[in-house]
Amino acid sequence: MFGQFRPSRRAMLKVGLAGAATVASPAILRLGAEAQTGPIKIGMPLALTGALGSVGQQQKRGAELYAKLQNAKGGILGRPIELLIEDTAGNPANCVRKAQEMVERRDCRLITGVTLSSEALAVVPKLAEWDTIFISSDNGDGRLTAESLVPNFFRANISGPMGTRAVSLYLRSAKLQKFYALGLDYAWGHNSVQVFEQEALKSKKEFLGKIFAPTGTKDYSPYITKIRQSGADAVFLVLQGDDNNAFLSQAQQYRLPEKVKLLTEIVDLASIRAVGDASLGLIGSSRYSFTYDHPLNNEFVAVWKKEHGTVPDTFEGEQWQCMKVFEAGIIKAGGIEAAKLRPALEDIEIESVKGKVHIRKCDHQGVQQGFMVEVVKKPGFETPVPEVIATYPGDSTTPTCNTMTFKD
Amino acid sequence: MSTLALLLTQFVNALSQAALLFFLGVGLTLIFGLMRIVNFAHGALYMLGAFVGYSLSSWSGNYWLALAGAPVLVGLFGAAFEFSILRRLYRRDAHAFLMVTFGLALVVGEAVRLIWGSDALQVPAPPLLSGVIFLLDEPFPVYRLFLAATGAVVAVAIWQFLERSRLGLLIRATSQNADMANALGVDIKLIRSCVFGIGCGLAALGGVLAAPLVTASNGMAATVIIDAFVIVIIGGMGSFLGSLIGALLIGFVQVFGNYYAPDFALAFMYLVMLAVLVVRPGGLLGKEA
Repeated sequence: MFGQFRPSRRAMLKVGLAGAATVASPAILRLGAEAQTGPIKIGMPLALTGALGSVGQQQKRGAELYAKLQNAKGGILGRPIELLIEDTAGNPANCVRKAQEMVERRDCRLITGVTLSSEALAVVPKLAEWDTIFISSDNGDGRLTAESLVPNFFRANISGPMGTRAVSLYLRSAKLQKFYALGLDYAWGHNSVQVFEQEALKSKKEFLGKIFAPTGTKDYSPYITKIRQSGADAVFLVLQGDDNNAFLSQAQQYRLPEKVKLLTEIVDLASIRAVGDASLGLIGSSRYSFTYDHPLNNEFVAVWKKEHGTVPDTFEGEQWQCMKVFEAGIIKAGGIEAAKLRPALEDIEIESVKGKVHIRKCDHQGVQQGFMVEVVKKPGFETPVPEVIATYPGDSTTPTCNTMTFKD
Repeated sequence: MSTLALLLTQFVNALSQAALLFFLGVGLTLIFGLMRIVNFAHGALYMLGAFVGYSLSSWSGNYWLALAGAPVLVGLFGAAFEFSILRRLYRRDAHAFLMVTFGLALVVGEAVRLIWGSDALQVPAPPLLSGVIFLLDEPFPVYRLFLAATGAVVAVAIWQFLERSRLGLLIRATSQNADMANALGVDIKLIRSCVFGIGCGLAALGGVLAAPLVTASNGMAATVIIDAFVIVIIGGMGSFLGSLIGALLIGFVQVFGNYYAPDFALAFMYLVMLAVLVVRPGGLLGKEA
């Protein structure tokens, strides 16, 4: 009788699989439970090195201080915040790979950081497949909330077109008539120069021409010569990081600001410190400045000074605001699952260091006021500081839904 | 602006850029010529020069001290590195050097970030050099003239050093035939340490001179190393005169290319390299590969 019991290969396989499933199931259950109760993992693929390394470093510091303070208060929904930080060196392919590792190997479902717009544009098509929410803290390219918008992408920061718009609103009342533009030769530079050109033409100003420099350009003299030759009253700059520092230093050495007013889409404190007096007189929009007079900002600046012994920079403030949007969304959703968090973030409104921020449902852009600043010398500060010279309500600086254009 | 003024200012400017490129390229080529080592850390040492220069000038308030001190300090560091690490590897194949110098680049890069932080730092030109002069009524920064002049002085100095001095003679002998030089009683270990140190010091000189133009930043290593390799490949690996010609060629191509055809500015440099390699695979003055 015993001799008749001959299990088939198929039966053995079934038993084996069932056994394996039983052994593995606690792990599966544990993983599922962890996603709801374990630490809240926020992935940050950042350009910590390369030409925009200083921007990535700022984002890192902003998020780290937030996580430290929030964890001391018990985290969000009683869950600690865990930041997963990786260096992409500003390379879009690297960025996608690092983000994918965070999602697939480390079970991370929230992403921020992603320093360059070109990296963000490479990441967003993957968000649905990854079931992951990405809130931008610094990406400028207008397309991210227009033609390239995906349901799981949100932008807490001021975009390129919004910064450019603040500049153009300011120019409507200024005497400057003839403009030239110099941008970095990648997504953000082209996008912002394009928006500026449209805005300049709309406000009946003359737009004389534009030129783009590759990131990592060391010698800006050919560009400076072109700007001077154009006969413009002012040049609109869309530069960042090392390129911005190189341009401002060299423009001053060529005495360019004596002839041509320098306007910029973005005034960054790190740049001001790096070039010193070469930044004096620079006028531009500001995404964040420690000089904004708002109770929450004053509180944030005080906390930052206590931690770092200095005032926070542009992207430290922007990243801080982004973390606050995450926090409000997660609390409202009661968790981090994309299916719950997405509707929670749509139409959410928070009070932040820059005042009210309202995430629009229609294109996931954070509506917030726009600032124009001028770089001036102030007593009590070793280096020049940005001083607010005008503010514009969010309705007037945010483009029409899902576009990069403005009504008037 | 008249065409003549434009050409003149861009011409002088191209010379100033070529000078910066030359400091990088000549160090790389000297090291390769003598030791057959491709020094991947050259960009990192250029950056280190800028940061050491920053510290020296902000500590002493004197740019000239930084200009003299940074190359010496970085040069000594390079010689010490050769003495302590590279020296153990000469019997191995080229891969070992590739790994070790690449490792040095990473270590120096991280060390700079840890010591000086990740923000760019200002190294202002001294007051004497921060004015402008007028070339055919066009303002031109005195500092760039100074760069071009320094480039010329250093090029002549290195040439004379190699041709006239006893150490230069030994260096040339060692690069032609190290075993023979050794047999004749030349201390080739010492020569190698010296040359590696001089090469690193020249890179640092480039870094400290570039700092007033581009600030001292963590990103500066990555952007120059490609240029340096292109120069050495164009000029011919190991050729002093080749690196000078390569630097001038790339300096002019970059400046005039950026002005006349900015959309193709990045491509021009590589097109020149390609053209040279098609005609002379070993570089303009290099030995045929």
